Amino acid sequence: MTGWQNNRAARDERIAAGAGFGHGKVVQARDATRLLEAVIRPGDRVCLEGDNQKQADLLSRALLAVDISRVNDLHMVQSGVVLSEHLDLFDRGVAKRLDYAYSGPQSARIARMLFGGKIELGAVHTYLELFARYFIDLTPHVALVAAVSADREGNLYTGPNTEDTPTVVEATAFKDGVVIAQVNEIVETVPRVDIPADRVHFIVKADQPFFVEPLFTRDPAAITEGQVLTAMLAIKGIYAPYGVQRLNHGIGFSTAAIELLLPTFGERLGLKGRIATHFALNPHPALIPAIESGWVRQIHSFGSEVGMDDYIRARSDVYFTGPDGSLRSNRAFCQAAGLYACDMFIGSTLQIDLQGNSSTVTTSRIAGFGGAPNMGADARGRRHPSVPWLKAGAEADPDGAALLRRGRKLVVQIGETFGDKNVPLFVENLDAMELAEKLNLELAPIMIYGDDVTHIVTEEGVANLLLCRTAQEREQAIRGVAGYTEVGRRRDHGMVERLRERGVIRRPEDLGINVLDADRSLLAARSIKDLVRWSGGLYAPPSKFRNW
Amino acid sequence: MTAPLRDMTPAERARSTSFYEASARTRLELLLDAGSLIEFIGPEQREVSPHLRIFDLPEQFDDGIIVGHGRLDGSPAFVAAQEGRFMGGAFGEVHGAKLTGLLRAAREIGTIPVLILFDTGGVRLQEANAGELAIAEIMRAVMEARAAGVKVIGLVGGRSGCYGGGGLIAGCCSALAVSEFGRIAVSGPEVIETNRGVEEFDSRDRALVWRTMGGKHRRLLGAADLFADDSVQDFREAALELIGLVGPFGLDGLKAEQERLADRLRRFGACLDAVEIWTISGIAHAETIPELPTDQFIALADRIGRTSRDAR
Repeated sequence: MTGWQNNRAARDERIAAGAGFGHGKVVQARDATRLLEAVIRPGDRVCLEGDNQKQADLLSRALLAVDISRVNDLHMVQSGVVLSEHLDLFDRGVAKRLDYAYSGPQSARIARMLFGGKIELGAVHTYLELFARYFIDLTPHVALVAAVSADREGNLYTGPNTEDTPTVVEATAFKDGVVIAQVNEIVETVPRVDIPADRVHFIVKADQPFFVEPLFTRDPAAITEGQVLTAMLAIKGIYAPYGVQRLNHGIGFSTAAIELLLPTFGERLGLKGRIATHFALNPHPALIPAIESGWVRQIHSFGSEVGMDDYIRARSDVYFTGPDGSLRSNRAFCQAAGLYACDMFIGSTLQIDLQGNSSTVTTSRIAGFGGAPNMGADARGRRHPSVPWLKAGAEADPDGAALLRRGRKLVVQIGETFGDKNVPLFVENLDAMELAEKLNLELAPIMIYGDDVTHIVTEEGVANLLLCRTAQEREQAIRGVAGYTEVGRRRDHGMVERLRERGVIRRPEDLGINVLDADRSLLAARSIKDLVRWSGGLYAPPSKFRNW
Repeated sequence: MTAPLRDMTPAERARSTSFYEASARTRLELLLDAGSLIEFIGPEQREVSPHLRIFDLPEQFDDGIIVGHGRLDGSPAFVAAQEGRFMGGAFGEVHGAKLTGLLRAAREIGTIPVLILFDTGGVRLQEANAGELAIAEIMRAVMEARAAGVKVIGLVGGRSGCYGGGGLIAGCCSALAVSEFGRIAVSGPEVIETNRGVEEFDSRDRALVWRTMGGKHRRLLGAADLFADDSVQDFREAALELIGLVGPFGLDGLKAEQERLADRLRRFGACLDAVEIWTISGIAHAETIPELPTDQFIALADRIGRTSRDAR
């Protein structure tokens, strides 16, 4: 029989099959596995909500426990592969195929499983790209999501870590899929409705709150003087001359150092109000001193951060909050904001090659992309002008007609020439290339393509790639800030000196920065406790970051 | 915004420099009267560890400890400072011998106090036998120096804390000053967790680590005599105060110390958490101790009054 509402009928059958396990929509945690066995069909596309922060951990364990004669060969479509259960699904045969975006803590195991053929890989995406595919060709049949609380009708309060939930539910519920939510508690009235009840089919009360990783907390005590120096170079060499007001920061210590130098070094340069006023950024604790000093006007966030809830609630002029007062984050919207409404991305990476391509993949680890490629890419669809965007565009194409010339997003890679464990940041060939060959991938996993990168900042100076006119100049500009790495030592000294005369490379002294001034005493906060003090006691850091 | 360093007086620098963050050299430079430090067996002599090269590990020309003499408020003092950023300040053969030698010199002279700026995770695994022997020699040297009339003051406030053999040596000192960041113990958190399980001690619960081994708890227990705020100047003032406070060393003092420790074990031996100890000690809202600002904490600790001044 052909029809036009087969999917809806199938969805209703699934819901009916699961209806026996609870009262109304509410299902007990102990029945979660039986519910999943009733609702999920072999080969289904399933989104098991795993973001880079919050995790539907109870539903992960429940899915792992299914009878694999009933549920098998699933196609997992989820942004984060973070819990060990996410990969255990493939070991057990519950799942077969995977499309994802980020796999931070599981990066080594996922690499081993890909080499071992345990996982059939669709692709590694950026967040925005995977979300987009939810609406085109990777629409989930079943979504397993996490929320803080639900009422009996199924209205969900996701709390500050809303993250991916609205996007996942939108794609699933409006295309005849089934939405199952794990919640920390069932309440009479939810503090605010993040997901309306008619998009939620089952609620499972978890015995423990869902897991949230404090991924964006950088202890100021671990910031090095090298990172203080690169932060000074970035502020004086890039933020100031371009007047960058709208931006996104990566999560590394280099950008945490920048955040902590705004109220000290930045203030001394008279930059307050002229730079770093509007952010697409998670609630980084390291930004508290800049916020408290009146630098930051507005922040939209992908997710939240453990310990920041009370601070955010008390600073609603800065953050996006709901009628209940708590943060409302949204990864998809914030990624779009970072792509289209920010003039700069600055972040660190693990490897940069001679063309400026960068990657966080090593031959034994596949960490995925997360959001960096969306943040760190020129948005070709952008049409609104801004001072930094136009200035960067003019530097790249000084002879083009101003009215027809695209602007350029500033995409800055920042790091010390030798990173963690003295591994060089600059390489002739990325490990990602070797990995692509070993896995027979059609594309090497490049985090940020060289043609999007506009600046590289190291302790040796700032390289402005927009001003390079040939591939050879570009290579020498990169070698010229690569310090004593193999790549740096193979520079053409004459050419590097000429690039410096043209301002393509600027050394600390060219920017009026004395390297000896790069001292930790410049940091507005030097410890987590300092951050607590700056926040007036509103920031409550997780225990693992305390030293008192 | 901190002013450029060159425009500041030594006292201002000592006041604005975090002891926790400073290197061993900076600590000594600012702790002692300006320009008074004279180092023994300095890095120019390159007395490096004979063991580390076997493991292809980097050496440090002073083997991670500075020993010397200088002046504190005009009076002579012997000093030793461990560099917590080199191998976690751990004791090796040369490192230990330098401290032993300093203490023996102090014993010979008999009147000049010794300041030990601890910053150590204990004994270096790569030279464990030599390191363990060094700990024993140092403990003996501390006791012999004290018996000869020398005041041996320990200052604890570095990143690596004061662990392992360092904790044992600290226990032998005439008096200790500790900051909030300072930790004093023998077995470290990870060691306890490894041997006794995470249920016994979760080393990643840093609030637990600090309220069990940290400066505030050590001060309230009487294991440390003074609580210092984190600047080098605070430690300088604490050192001066302790030199003034330490009384004569003898059998009576040791007996009193034994009684103090036995009493501590009787009163608190069954407690499962430091908060219980603080509560039994009569501190209201004991759970707020970790959050208490320094000045309020010092007032509280002085009121509780437990100190080993009559003991040790």
